[in-house]
Amino acid sequence: MTMAAANTIIDIEPAARMRTPNDSPLKIICLAPTLVWFGALFAVPLIALLWAGFWRVENYQTIITFSLENYEQVAANFFAKSRYGLALVQTFWVAITGGIFAVAFAYAVALAIVYAVPQRWQRLALLFAIAPFWSSYILRVYAWQTVLSKNGVVNSFLKMTGLDWARLDVIFTQTATRIGLVHYLAPILIVILYVTLTNIDRAVIEAARDLGSTRWQVFKKIILPLSGFGLTVAGSFAVIIGMGDALCGALLGGGAGQSIIGKVPLFASMLISDYASATNLPRTAALATILVLAMLLVMWASFAIGERVRKATAE
Amino acid sequence: MTAATALPAPREPINRWKIAGIVWLAIGYVFLFIPLVVLVLFSFQANKFPALPLQGFSLRWYEKLWRDGTLIDALGHSMIVSPAAATIATILGFLAAYATTRFEFKGKSLLAAFLALPILIPPLILGVAFLGLLARVHLSGTLFSVFLTHVVLITAPAMVVIQLRLAQMPRSLEEAAWDLGATEWQTLRKVVLPFALPGILGGWLLAFTFSFDEFMIAWFVSGFDPTLPVAIYSVLVAMIDPSLNAIGTIVFAISAVALIGIELLLLPYVTEKNVEEE
Repeated sequence: MTMAAANTIIDIEPAARMRTPNDSPLKIICLAPTLVWFGALFAVPLIALLWAGFWRVENYQTIITFSLENYEQVAANFFAKSRYGLALVQTFWVAITGGIFAVAFAYAVALAIVYAVPQRWQRLALLFAIAPFWSSYILRVYAWQTVLSKNGVVNSFLKMTGLDWARLDVIFTQTATRIGLVHYLAPILIVILYVTLTNIDRAVIEAARDLGSTRWQVFKKIILPLSGFGLTVAGSFAVIIGMGDALCGALLGGGAGQSIIGKVPLFASMLISDYASATNLPRTAALATILVLAMLLVMWASFAIGERVRKATAE
Repeated sequence: MTAATALPAPREPINRWKIAGIVWLAIGYVFLFIPLVVLVLFSFQANKFPALPLQGFSLRWYEKLWRDGTLIDALGHSMIVSPAAATIATILGFLAAYATTRFEFKGKSLLAAFLALPILIPPLILGVAFLGLLARVHLSGTLFSVFLTHVVLITAPAMVVIQLRLAQMPRSLEEAAWDLGATEWQTLRKVVLPFALPGILGGWLLAFTFSFDEFMIAWFVSGFDPTLPVAIYSVLVAMIDPSLNAIGTIVFAISAVALIGIELLLLPYVTEKNVEEE
């Protein structure tokens, strides 16, 4: 605060300015390495990504030009042959439904931690819930494969206990993809929703209880509306991450996993298998750009929803 | 904010909702931990396919892992790349954290957002972007390219941890050093650096974990010397091989050690009061 004030004074009287601890060569020296590294290896690649979508491949040689060939190819195959359009629809469907499950699961866990666990155990309960986040993602997906597969852990357990009729045939369908996604997303969402819930003033809840509300009424009239914004943030986060995820779709969904939409792969899984088989970088870049645009669309939509929710709670 | 802690604990006796909450929490934990437990359990079982019934304790998958050698080689690659990337990221992160904590300048929050962006952009997109650039300058397909790109990804986490620690440093500490005649550079080295050390070590460990587990970017930019997650993926798409359980258990153990290190280094400081507030 005081520093900001000092800055304005300096702006007004540049001539009479004294050297303050804020003017130091260290400012530049400390920031420069990071800025150079990020400029060269982050900003440039991102621009190159957008640009590379317009390159062409001829005789296995990448030619730097400005051609719409990749996008034309994608557009021509939107619903035919490679069916990029259907893959995009599948991505939306799986990411949105998976996101809803993930948020519902995480919200219930966060509610349980905040309102059912005694105060002094809450931190520990939260740490425990987010512990799986710190383990290798690819290994978790592999482990889910062994758990869910045809003769995997769950099914062999059911067989052993004579519950064979209840066997789980989800591997290599988009249901398995969603299970993997929920597992991946849950720790992050639990943190977001935990923070949301702890910010709700307990005094308000106590007051409502003292005035005779039932617990269900308190939840419906106070807790749920006040977590609206947090739920929107968590939901959009879940959908965007889900859209960009290729591993669950490839390893649990088996590439083209079955769903209501049909046996269609996710856009992200399609992108990596496309790259693995053709190594056509310009086309991969074009596909990635399309995915980015789809994500920006979701982001814009969730901002709009978030604003509405915030306005509704403010009233 | 503080009102919640001032209130007495809820006074009602046990009720249905609380029990339901605890039961749900238990189910949630089972769901969250089932893959990890299964993976570790079957790494020590004789079963050829991870399924019940268990066939008894065995270390055969660890032996196979050792005999095959590819995954162990990949672990070796990861153990070169990740510490190197974490070290550079921590140096960059420390300098940037110091600059943002001490100095006021325009666009500070913009800078923070820019540095956090690599974590927020899906790794799939970043992978394609990195590859697009690195392939042009003939730097793709090596461990060095994984190193270059991982630094971008893990600088922000390292920086945030160091910022947390630096925020606890009273400004007077530095000012005292200057008044006593130390140059700014000497103060940075002899006063700020030792103070930030727990944050630096914690940041390094966090950066290491991020890099060590990173798959997607490494898949795009690494070539014939895959890092461990990439090597695991290529085994995984080809066949069922329980030595994956064995390497997985080793990886979990490494991550767990890193995490416990972070906890021990940082927990005493996170709970400490913020001294800076005036």
